[in-house]
Amino acid sequence: MSKKVTIVIPAYNEAEVIADVIEEVQAAGAYQIIVVDDGSRDNTYDTAASYPGIIALRHKINRGKGAATKTGIVAANRLGADMVVTMDGDGQHDPTDIEALIRPIVDGSCDVVLGTRPKVKGEMPVIKIIANKIGNLVTWLLYGLHVSDSQSGFRAYSRYAATIIDTKADKYEYDSKVIREINNNRLRFAEVPIQVRYTEYSMGKPQKQGFVNGLKTLVRMIWSMLV
Amino acid sequence: MKIHLYQIIIICISSVMLFQGAREFLKRETGQTFLKLAVRLIVWGGMAIVAIYPNSTMIVARFIGIEGNINAVILTGFLLVFLLIFKLLSAIEKIEQNISELTRKEALSHLPDKKSADPQGHNAE
Repeated sequence: MSKKVTIVIPAYNEAEVIADVIEEVQAAGAYQIIVVDDGSRDNTYDTAASYPGIIALRHKINRGKGAATKTGIVAANRLGADMVVTMDGDGQHDPTDIEALIRPIVDGSCDVVLGTRPKVKGEMPVIKIIANKIGNLVTWLLYGLHVSDSQSGFRAYSRYAATIIDTKADKYEYDSKVIREINNNRLRFAEVPIQVRYTEYSMGKPQKQGFVNGLKTLVRMIWSMLV
Repeated sequence: MKIHLYQIIIICISSVMLFQGAREFLKRETGQTFLKLAVRLIVWGGMAIVAIYPNSTMIVARFIGIEGNINAVILTGFLLVFLLIFKLLSAIEKIEQNISELTRKEALSHLPDKKSADPQGHNAE
């Protein structure tokens, strides 16, 4: 039996690349696509909405990547998706990986699939490798589950997982909170290697999860446990 | 044993905070982790112990090197500041969550229904 796969793309000020991302996903397969514009100041929403068949939703104000992703997942659930795949709107994820990402869910062997970026010098910037390892360590210490890439936004969820995972994290800590939800809800998960394209554009974005934003995420993760 | 008013107040507040923390943790509410419960136990449990056994502050006082009545003032100050920060941060967090929820509801109000959203039936084998 065929399964309905919905791709959720949270986007903030991605007008420059969102058209390419949508076209690449459309070329990769017959997926339903939901673009959630997180209060962009540019034409991200208009560009996404101009594509026939694309569901474009808009946050009136910027609430963060986590909030936009959650909006997209809720929308996908309401539209009856059997599987939900989340991917970044800056074009760093390759939609040809979607097939590999959803395969373990189609097989019924797991509920969540985490896309894992290659952490090899040359394929990933050194600073990102270090930040990734710190993120994994903190996620493990705070949420009790060690994964290879706690910060990857390229993930697939079964309908059950997409419904049961509930976190109020709005910013980049969303990705780590999902790991906590996997652990708390005893969800079966798998890690699948994915390709990542680090372009000048994706590395230069002011809203990217860089060193300063990474520190802010870290502080928010620890703070949210105390308050 | 003579019980003072401040002891009753501190024990009451601590009991409520500990009860709330334990209940949220046992009900596995979102965001309630063991570390959060542990912090609550240390902060509010510590307050309760100091209120029940005031002499226990002597151990702390000896440790940090401050002795005398000033302990009571510092303790009261800390209690009020903790209470204030706790409430303030909880309120800010709640407001942030409400803003996100409202923004989400508004965005989802434009979601087309199932049929018009997927007329071709986007399915993958």
